[in-house]
Amino acid sequence: MLGEFEYLLITAAAGLGDEAYGAAIREEIEATTGRKCSIGALYTTIERLENKGLLKTWMGDATPQRGGRAKRMVRVTPKGVQAAKDFYDAVMRVSRGASWVANRAGNG
Amino acid sequence: MASLHWSLVEVAARLLDRDEREAVLGDLVESCESPWRSLCGVLGVVCRREVAHWKSWQPWLAAFGVAFPSSLLLMGVSLSVSWSYLTVRCPELLEKSSLTLGSGTLVLLCKALLLIGWSWTGGFAVGSLSRRTLWASTLLCYLPCLFCLSRFRVESVSRYCLLLFLLPAIWGVHQGLRISRMKLSWAIALAITITVLMLPDWSRGAQHWWSPPRWTLNWILIWPAWYVVVRAWTSPRGTATSMNRSADF
Repeated sequence: MLGEFEYLLITAAAGLGDEAYGAAIREEIEATTGRKCSIGALYTTIERLENKGLLKTWMGDATPQRGGRAKRMVRVTPKGVQAAKDFYDAVMRVSRGASWVANRAGNG
Repeated sequence: MASLHWSLVEVAARLLDRDEREAVLGDLVESCESPWRSLCGVLGVVCRREVAHWKSWQPWLAAFGVAFPSSLLLMGVSLSVSWSYLTVRCPELLEKSSLTLGSGTLVLLCKALLLIGWSWTGGFAVGSLSRRTLWASTLLCYLPCLFCLSRFRVESVSRYCLLLFLLPAIWGVHQGLRISRMKLSWAIALAITITVLMLPDWSRGAQHWWSPPRWTLNWILIWPAWYVVVRAWTSPRGTATSMNRSADF
């Protein structure tokens, strides 16, 4: 079972597709959650997920925008997609009947 | 001032692997982070990496189970070898002191071989167990050395005799980092040789009522040799000497 931050990272990386790399994923997480994402947490989580086989990373091209430094590109593996789907399903199941979910359905 | 801060960031980033350094520094530049926040970010990555290394038992065993106790004991063995050498070369020196040590070239040879064997296998175990936490094992080895060097008060022997074990130990660490696992036949031969050389010590009791028998202390020094055997035994066939560093991560 994934952790919350692991799920956020996989989902952000999957959403970015071929443009998924450290800074872009971090920006995406910060924009969607409204919380600061430390670069340390990001890279240690990426490595952990890669060790679990949920992500694949490789060094991309260097760009002038980054001071001539290379990007660490990220791709979600099929196993990662499945893990994220399992997490999402579990959250949906456990949330059924919760007051905020019921209210939301009522409002909708 | 900003360039000074960026220099600090780049210095801190040297603690990271090359690829990770590239990615982290590039991300910080792209995100237009302030130098201070960049420094905190880089240090955060470094700290998390270091904590991750210490989550396994191997670095703890290397630092506190081998490096620290072995360095203390091996300094004693180094001194013993030096005294044996003096006994062989200048027997009159020992007559002046209250120390009584075994004499003869054979004893000296046995002690020297044991010192080399213990030091090398201890170093090998530290190298193969520590990996990226080698700095901590090194620190825990050198601190007792510095303490003992500063307190050493024997006129007839140089204080640097305490450090005779360092050369084979450093060689062992180098080999442990390089090959990680020995060939099984070599490991068994080494462990048996060391154990056989220790046999004369097994019959000796404690020198004082409060001190443990000598052979119990020697067990602290012998186990790295048998650890090397177990490690060679458990390695996949055909990869005994070709395991690279990443195999243990």
